[in-house]
Amino acid sequence: MIERWALISGLKGDLETYERIQKDLKKIRGDITLFVLGDMVGAERNCNSLIDRLINPHPGDLKPHCIYGWWEDQLLAERGFRGEQKADALRLNKGEGIVKALVNAVDPYYLNWLASLEFGFVELDCGLIHGSSKDIGDKITIDTPPLILLDRLTRLGVNRLFTARSCQQFHLELTDAVVNSYVKDIGGDRKQEQKVPKRGVIGIGAGAYYTLYDVGSDKTHFLNVLDQPKSNIRGFG
Amino acid sequence: MKQAVISCLHANLPAVQAVLNDIDRQGIDTITCLGDLVGYGPHPNEVVDLIKEREIPTCQGCWDEDVVDGLDACDCSYPSQLAERRGHLAHKWTTEKLTNENKDFLASLPTSIRRDKLLFVHGSPNSQHEYLLPDMDAFAALERVEMAGAETLFCGHTHLPYVRELGQGSIRVTLKNTPNKQTEEKEMNLPMRRIINAGSVGEPRHGGSKATYVIFDDKTNKIDIKEVSYDIDRTCKAIIEAGLPPIFAWRLNHGFEFAELAEDASHVCER
Repeated sequence: MIERWALISGLKGDLETYERIQKDLKKIRGDITLFVLGDMVGAERNCNSLIDRLINPHPGDLKPHCIYGWWEDQLLAERGFRGEQKADALRLNKGEGIVKALVNAVDPYYLNWLASLEFGFVELDCGLIHGSSKDIGDKITIDTPPLILLDRLTRLGVNRLFTARSCQQFHLELTDAVVNSYVKDIGGDRKQEQKVPKRGVIGIGAGAYYTLYDVGSDKTHFLNVLDQPKSNIRGFG
Repeated sequence: MKQAVISCLHANLPAVQAVLNDIDRQGIDTITCLGDLVGYGPHPNEVVDLIKEREIPTCQGCWDEDVVDGLDACDCSYPSQLAERRGHLAHKWTTEKLTNENKDFLASLPTSIRRDKLLFVHGSPNSQHEYLLPDMDAFAALERVEMAGAETLFCGHTHLPYVRELGQGSIRVTLKNTPNKQTEEKEMNLPMRRIINAGSVGEPRHGGSKATYVIFDDKTNKIDIKEVSYDIDRTCKAIIEAGLPPIFAWRLNHGFEFAELAEDASHVCER
């Protein structure tokens, strides 16, 4: 049986898109595990229905494995789940109105569930995180310097990092990394050549854009639920 | 021009005086201090007063920060629970002894000092609590210097003086896939960078009991790790008389931490 991971993020309360992704995934052969890398909540719409669906999957739904993202972190901070911290980053970037809209978008009933979510998953030799191992708000993009990519992989001790925060879809591979180090201390001198085996960083996209990953072959498939034929969307396929 | 870099004075006045005398004897005017003026040692006010009097540009160390802000670091600040317990005793004692004026001075210190391509920090550019050990992952070490926009990074915190040059590196970056099946491959040469750890004036842990610091000659780019003898017995006696844990005196005489060293150099304090 082919093992695949479906990785989604950035739904921000969009239950309709989630349902379309679930529907898409049902058509794919193989053993699929669904990971939701955060940003289930947002300020644009009421998020309760989506959260409820994630907690209580419908019959036939792939069971989602969720972690929290930047928007959940801001919501939880504003709601007093992060000590003295508030949603300062959101307030600074988007203003007080968006903070209030975010708070109003999620019923307090769901806060404990959101607060119980993990920062990330380590599956096999892969790290699945919303931002990066450094920070939940870390935006890893196609242009992030390779030294930063290696650092984020090293911090987690993984060979592949799946990230969502930048909303981009990409698959970068780092190979043939070598650096020479010369250390002089009171005990003397020593030289060392350090090499790093093949590593990868995968941006999974956001919202309607999601990623399917073949675990056995290390292949990524960047999909979206916007490109479907109209007949499919209407459900007359 | 030669300049001296000192770090981790840790309220050890005889050691600080001996090192400053050694620097003065060489006619070096530019001195930079990488913080941790207080903690562990018996002379916090005296050491802060001396640094103020000499007008030595100083970064804020982890102890300087914690004495001002309270103990809020995560577990990474100490190599073991025993060390943490002793550290808390020293923190309480130091907080009680330090004058408000000197606390204000410590609070006012910057977390970094930059001079062109030279960057001075206590732990790392990321955090006053992060250890840049001499044999940590070379790519992570290079990232700390390069991403801070420096060519040479001066740090302390480990109490182990060293010079580390990182260079002749390269990496191949391949864009394997995008939504429009774009692929690209490029080989990048990594920059040559240097980390210079000044060791510790007031609480050496390099296996010797002498105070350590470094001298940097910006004309020749040469680094000298200096060791200076001082009146250890005077400091040890003051530690005992102050009621601080006697182990602090023991380790001054032996030059290493009683507990194991912190090994997870990639860990970043998550406060």
